[in-house]
Amino acid sequence: MGKSDRRRFLKGVAAVAGGATVAIPKGTSAQTFRPANGTTALPSAAMQSREREQPAEVERLTTEKTGSDFMVDVCKTLNLDYIAACPGSTFRGLQESFINYGANKHPEWLTCLHEEVSVGMAHGYAKVAGKPMAAIMHGTVGTQHAAMAIYNAYCDRVPIILFTGNAGPLNERRPGVEWFHSVQDGAATVRDFVKWDDYPKSLQHFAESTVRGYALACAEPSGPVFLVADSKLQEDPLAEREARKLRIPRLTMPSQAAGDPNALREAAKMMVAADHPVIIADRYARSQAAMDNLVELAELLHAPVIDNRSRMNMPNTHYLCQSERAGTLIGQADCILSLEPVDLFGQLNSMRDQIERTDMPRTKADAKVISISTHDLFVHSNYQDFQRYVGADLNIAADAQTTLPFLIEAVQREMSASGRNAGEMRGEKLRQAYHDAIDRARTEATFAWDARPISTARLYMELWGQLQKEDWALVSDGDFSSRWPHRLWPLDKHYRFIGGPGGYGVGYQPVAALGAALAHRDAGGRVVINVEGDGEFNMAPHTLWTAAHHRIPYLTIIQNNRAYHQEAMHIQRMANRHNRGVRSAALGTSIDNPNIDYAKIATGYGALGIGPIEDPSDLAEAFRKGIAAVKTGQPVLIDVITQPR
Amino acid sequence: MKHRSLLTAVLIAIVFPAIAPAGAQQASSPAGNVEHGKALYRETGCYECHGLAGQGAPMTGPRVSRTQLPLDAFLNQLRHPVNQMPPYEAAVLSDSDAADIYAYLEQIPAPPGPNSIPLLKLTR
Repeated sequence: MGKSDRRRFLKGVAAVAGGATVAIPKGTSAQTFRPANGTTALPSAAMQSREREQPAEVERLTTEKTGSDFMVDVCKTLNLDYIAACPGSTFRGLQESFINYGANKHPEWLTCLHEEVSVGMAHGYAKVAGKPMAAIMHGTVGTQHAAMAIYNAYCDRVPIILFTGNAGPLNERRPGVEWFHSVQDGAATVRDFVKWDDYPKSLQHFAESTVRGYALACAEPSGPVFLVADSKLQEDPLAEREARKLRIPRLTMPSQAAGDPNALREAAKMMVAADHPVIIADRYARSQAAMDNLVELAELLHAPVIDNRSRMNMPNTHYLCQSERAGTLIGQADCILSLEPVDLFGQLNSMRDQIERTDMPRTKADAKVISISTHDLFVHSNYQDFQRYVGADLNIAADAQTTLPFLIEAVQREMSASGRNAGEMRGEKLRQAYHDAIDRARTEATFAWDARPISTARLYMELWGQLQKEDWALVSDGDFSSRWPHRLWPLDKHYRFIGGPGGYGVGYQPVAALGAALAHRDAGGRVVINVEGDGEFNMAPHTLWTAAHHRIPYLTIIQNNRAYHQEAMHIQRMANRHNRGVRSAALGTSIDNPNIDYAKIATGYGALGIGPIEDPSDLAEAFRKGIAAVKTGQPVLIDVITQPR
Repeated sequence: MKHRSLLTAVLIAIVFPAIAPAGAQQASSPAGNVEHGKALYRETGCYECHGLAGQGAPMTGPRVSRTQLPLDAFLNQLRHPVNQMPPYEAAVLSDSDAADIYAYLEQIPAPPGPNSIPLLKLTR
């Protein structure tokens, strides 16, 4: 329908909300629009058209090909296996095209019950699969729901291809709801924390922006990109002669930025000359090869590695992985190499959370600091995830993973040239320190071993007892579980662990675990373990339905301390600071009275629910059953009543 | 459990120095009321950072079970904490109550050694 025809049509439809008036053709009243009663013969399309004084094409009610079909063609040229969504009418055209025209393959449509799940699962998926998946959100309200999950992915520098719908021109919006779900600038809500966004105004524009967006999302530092798929572009018929003009550009994946050779030569000199070099790896490794490179560099320098666990960086089965000695090592270091630090200031300094906030260095005054990071290649202004500024002695703006092989070569050259290999003398001490740290952790684990509520050490070791013979992957971090998996389990391969949430937005864990489990399922039958707090779980319990519906198996263990315990400690701090005591600190932070039955919730969503487990001697059997069910393809939840941490 | 501010979580670390090794012999008999101290340990929120059994946690507070600190040092840490521990002034915890908590912590039975727990032989 042409614009002028459409205007004539709308002129006859005088329904207006809000009391505004429009001209109504003479002799017409609201009664004109009453539906015909059941005894009246239905008018033909031509009769209707004549009655409404409109040309016949207005009554064209079907079409064989639409813009959304072409949008699907575009997406099929990208390496997208999945698109996740909670349905919304602003992308109804696209959804229908994906599932029918696109045959629901590459990408396959995944049904989620909240947009935060759609985006959060894409976050977890990308960290395991090593490539993005897509998520699509309803216009305005869906984007608002998704915002926190997008922020987490942005802070975690993880690629996701995000789409949203948006109603077309104002004269074609249905009165009411479509207006609430329309927006001038669809990305405005999230622009501060996506890598790039666009609102294509034509199908050719959509093709180029979507392919560009995919490439940009994957260029380090990676991140989510956001594309508005206009509803009119989706739903308008696509004539054959128009379709022939459209071109989908070839996707060219970018090579990643490596460090300046001169800077690497300087870094090598500094590291080789150091008596106490230390490597800190944070958001560094995206692959097994990157882990292997880090091991090679550490062995070459005989340098201990502190793995800050934003990714799986260093096998903790290697004696140079000395994360538990971070404070001592940083204090002794004369040269620190920091790989993709999330917070370089926080690595090098501490801050006291008392009334007067004071900070102090954790390093020696003359310690040299080298940073290799993509941090400076991508910084936004509003949200403060960039952390406090630190002037490193050598700041190499580059992708550390891509750079490390070149740094290794530079170190080898420097060692040959200088004849220096003092590092060998450090090796024996570091081996002893490594074993001592494990012994300390084993001893610490004995305290509260038989306690009720169950200690987190007991939880993890009972789990390990059942898991050790499986090919497993942990998709949750252990920071709020006293880091037991990193202290006691052997994390020896890259896929064993995926790091944390990025922005610490609560609700990451259940949804990221779902996406990570999907990628592990496709990789071939790993037993996926997700240990999360009750506060986390309550942000998105319905994630389990998506897991059951799409047969995504993983074991969720609720570390149920019946509280937002982190916040309870904050309230305690304030109460003490104000000299009022802490006896009511649980008010507003506890999640009890009534206690929540998580096993029942899981069962209701179609997963296997077990628990609550209150006796530590019941853990082994519960975990055995849970792992067995996961191996048959089921999602499982086990509720364990635990100590706070 | 909540993930809202990891940095703050780290900063909440409560530092009681000179934690005893497992099974270490205690220096003297506690002077305070153990049962009262046990109740206070929960009521005054010690457990929030140090665990319900005083076992500690790396990101919140070290182990205080079977503390080897002298009582004076224990009190001093409460009143004038080093590092991140929130202060416990006399207005919220009297010397007498603090001594009861100390007595409770000092007498907690030693745990079994790690080699006596089969699961702890499976570690990395």
